[in-house]
Amino acid sequence: MIELLAQTGLNSLYAAAYLSLVAVGLVLIFGVMGVINFAHGELFMLGAYVVVALYSGFGVPYILVAAIGLIFVGCIGILMEFTIFRPLRDSPLGGLVASIGFLLIAQALVSMGFGVRMEHVPPVTQEVIVFSEKVRLPLQRLFVILAAVMFLSLLWIFLRRTRFGWALRASAQDAEAAALQGISIRQTSLIAMFVGAGLAGIAGVLTAPLISVGPHMGHAVIVAAFIVIIVGGIGSLEGAIVASVAYAFIHTIVTTFWDGVIADITGLSLMLLVLIVRPTGLFGTTDRA
Amino acid sequence: MFVEFKAGGHTRRKFLKSASAMAGLGLMGAHLPGRAAADGHVIKIGFLAPLTGPVAAWGKPGLDGCRIWAEWINAAGGINIGGKMHPVEFIGYDNEYDPAKARTGATKLIREDGVKFIMMLGGDTWPGVQPVAERTGMLFSTLLPSDLGPDTTTLIAPAEVHPIYNVTGVEWLAENKPELKTAVMCAQDDALGLPSVATYLAAFEAAGISMQHDPLLFDPATTDFAPVVTRLISDNPDIVCLDTCYSDYVHPITEQLFQQGYGGQIISCTADFYDQMIDRTSAEFLEGFVFQFPDFDDPALNQPFINFNDPNKFFEVYNERHPGEWGAVSWEYASIMDLWKSAAEGAGSAEPGDVLAAMTGDGTGAHAFGTAEWWGEDLFGINNALVGNWPVVVIEGGKARIKEYKSIPEWYAKHGELLKKHMSAYGQMWDQR
Repeated sequence: MIELLAQTGLNSLYAAAYLSLVAVGLVLIFGVMGVINFAHGELFMLGAYVVVALYSGFGVPYILVAAIGLIFVGCIGILMEFTIFRPLRDSPLGGLVASIGFLLIAQALVSMGFGVRMEHVPPVTQEVIVFSEKVRLPLQRLFVILAAVMFLSLLWIFLRRTRFGWALRASAQDAEAAALQGISIRQTSLIAMFVGAGLAGIAGVLTAPLISVGPHMGHAVIVAAFIVIIVGGIGSLEGAIVASVAYAFIHTIVTTFWDGVIADITGLSLMLLVLIVRPTGLFGTTDRA
Repeated sequence: MFVEFKAGGHTRRKFLKSASAMAGLGLMGAHLPGRAAADGHVIKIGFLAPLTGPVAAWGKPGLDGCRIWAEWINAAGGINIGGKMHPVEFIGYDNEYDPAKARTGATKLIREDGVKFIMMLGGDTWPGVQPVAERTGMLFSTLLPSDLGPDTTTLIAPAEVHPIYNVTGVEWLAENKPELKTAVMCAQDDALGLPSVATYLAAFEAAGISMQHDPLLFDPATTDFAPVVTRLISDNPDIVCLDTCYSDYVHPITEQLFQQGYGGQIISCTADFYDQMIDRTSAEFLEGFVFQFPDFDDPALNQPFINFNDPNKFFEVYNERHPGEWGAVSWEYASIMDLWKSAAEGAGSAEPGDVLAAMTGDGTGAHAFGTAEWWGEDLFGINNALVGNWPVVVIEGGKARIKEYKSIPEWYAKHGELLKKHMSAYGQMWDQR
């Protein structure tokens, strides 16, 4: 039983790692721009397809692919800001609907470019850290965990220690007041989209060698991410991270000891419970909620 | 969204070129008394299946296989109906595994295209199509006999009796590896997974193999299978059964089994693209993996009782055109067309009612894996499933090989009550669905 619990803990850490990256990106975009980006799961999917195209297709070194994936998907985020969210800035609902349109277009383009079948990326490494016969951690999973910690730490430093980060936080707190202080809302929106999309993209890049990559893979991730940001408090980065860890552990434990369908029900029940007991989420504020 | 093409989608020049090439290879000539030119009108066949989306792997490869089938038939002159040779043309419609789109597609294929027969994957899409079938009397086929019921009089399941044939793999394991005594199973919680769970439970019980715990069901949207696998192998089972998981699940689950150090037997309904699984694990790890769908370059398919035209050549041509895409359904829709063609030629008519009567008239049919019987009243409420032998396939040295053909009716005669018991427990009998 101890071994089963230990393996479940390692499985949970991995799930928490990639989910945190996706959820934090989603929160960042919402916090600064005030739009719910329904296509965020597709940004995760595009990151995975960068791996399919460059790593599987052309044998580009994985580390280089990771950097390209982050920048490429970040630039897609900037493109979305220019073409979708900026023209619809005064209509949050319009931005949401337009992001659904982007979602469908992204799925269709990937289907046309890569086909409809799932892609299976060759493993970057098959090395496994063996703690005991029943407790093992594949190196690729450890890489995802460490990379998530690194990117989230860098984000924290960026937001707390740089002028751009201060500008982002100021815009998230009160866009009008920030503008009066000379902060360009357009510029902060672009930065938020680049960082938020880039985080989703890097999550896709990191997990691509561990899952089946397909045009519709973003769906499961975005559902979990929405649960996480509602539980954590919409607009709260800390809340998104804490809720990601909590959700990942609960979902993984329930899947392991009961089954995956009950785990999904448990995750949704957790969200409902939080909405009833604390409608603003664990770390949310009334202003944003 | 629909895809439409004439058989092969080729130009006249390309058509003549390929026909000449085949004649040169002697592929067709040996079977035909003389090459007749098609002089009748084109017979249109509907292909209503997911061509895009998550379930496309069980639709699109079948259409690709049908394309090859049509080229071969048309190159040989076409289908002989009442002494006239008719070319055949497939009209594809992508239902995206959506019942509403399937219904629209069926209506379009019948009304606008004038098809004589419609092939489907079935499953979740059949309820959308059933009212159209009842209204028009159109003949439909499904790969999933769980669509059958007493009222589905124009629906046939002539290629595979999913999931009943899965019993043959378990039976083979019990006979050849009697030391395996315990099993665990996981499956996606959907219309494909649950009847298969019931079937495997019956097969394991019949074989004297005990389940360590209840089947572990997971949401079809699952992407991380580490927790599922951790649970599966926590009590050191002799056998891990992957049920009828989609290939998108079989791959990551198998990889997790490898990474979490499992060293026992694996059995699965399918192992599509198993070469990629080997790349992600190892040939040693997959040695002995049991499943149910052969590669058609298998020498065991060249036996006289096989009713499929030149399976090895079909596999070769398929892989030339669609490298790495051979899957469980690549040959199945084409094999249904063999049955349909034979029945239409026998009836002297392509009309749905005439073909169905000719196909099922004597209670037997020429299934791809040998002569089979129209069966199913016990389980499906109607004898519209063609059942006979089914191959047990094992990966050996990195290559799938048929180990034995086993009889489904013989298993059912001995253990049918067990199957009904488990089907009932999972609500999968025709009167429960």
